[in-house]
Amino acid sequence: MAPTVPLVWYQILAAVLFTIGVVGVLVRRSALVIFMSIELMLNAVNLSFVAFSRQHASMDGHIFVFFVMAVAAAEVAIGLAIIVAIFRNRETASVDDVHLLKG
Amino acid sequence: MFELLLFGMLSGIAIGCALGVVFHRNPVHCALLLVGVLISVAGIFILLHAQFVAALQVIVYAGAIMVLFLFVVMLLNIKGETPLLTPGAAKFFGFLFALIVFVELIWTAVQPSPEGQGMPDAAPLPADFGSPAALGRVLYTVWLYPFEITSILLLVAVIGAVVLAKRKFF
Repeated sequence: MAPTVPLVWYQILAAVLFTIGVVGVLVRRSALVIFMSIELMLNAVNLSFVAFSRQHASMDGHIFVFFVMAVAAAEVAIGLAIIVAIFRNRETASVDDVHLLKG
Repeated sequence: MFELLLFGMLSGIAIGCALGVVFHRNPVHCALLLVGVLISVAGIFILLHAQFVAALQVIVYAGAIMVLFLFVVMLLNIKGETPLLTPGAAKFFGFLFALIVFVELIWTAVQPSPEGQGMPDAAPLPADFGSPAALGRVLYTVWLYPFEITSILLLVAVIGAVVLAKRKFF
C-alpha cells in the first residue's frame, strides 16, 4: 500500500510549523508565549520524525518522538517554575524586563 | 484521495492555529490554539500509521502539558502584552532570521537525494506498525538504557520544579 501523500509534503508542513515557532520565539515578549512557540517547534520536529519513520517502515522515529515528549514535559515543568519564580519577584513575565544578568 | 484531503485539512488547521499561537494577544487563547495545533498534528500522526504516538500526543501534550500552561497563565493572571511584538530592530531581524531558516528548511526538504532522484518509495509496513506492542518491543530492548535515563531526567525535573517554585528562593 503506497502512501498517497508524498513525504516531502510532510517535510514542508514541518518546516512551516517550525518557522512559525521560530518567529514566536524571536518576536514575542511574553515568556509564556515563547514557551508555547518552543512546544510548536518540538512538535514540528516530531512530525518530521514520524514521517521519516513511516517512509523507512522503522519504529525508531517513534521512539525518538517518545523521548522528545519526555524531555518537553521536563522542560515545561522547569520552565514554568522559573516563570512563576520570576513573576513572584518582579511582577512581570516579559522577557524584556528580565535583564538581571545584563551589567 | 481521501488521505490527501484529510492531510490538507489537518495541515490547514495546524498552520492556522500555529499562526494564532504566535500572533494572538491573549495568552489563554494562545494556549487553546496550541491545543488545536497539537490535536491536528496528532491527526497527521494517525495518517502516518503512528497510532500510539498520536494517542500519546493527545494525552501527554494536549492533556498534561497544556493544562500546566493554562494553570500558570491563569495563576499569574498575565495581561496581554502592549506592544505585542518586541519593538525596533529586534523584530526586523527576528522575521529576517525566521525567513532564512524557512528557506533553508524548504531547500533541504526538496533536494533530491545524492544517490538518485528523490526519496525511494516508502517501504512496505509490517502489520503491527505503530502499535503499542511494536513500540514497546523496540523501546524495552534496543532503547532500554535511554529509557531508564529518561526516568532520571524526569525525577530531576520534578525536584527542580519543587525547589524553584518554593517561596523565598531568590
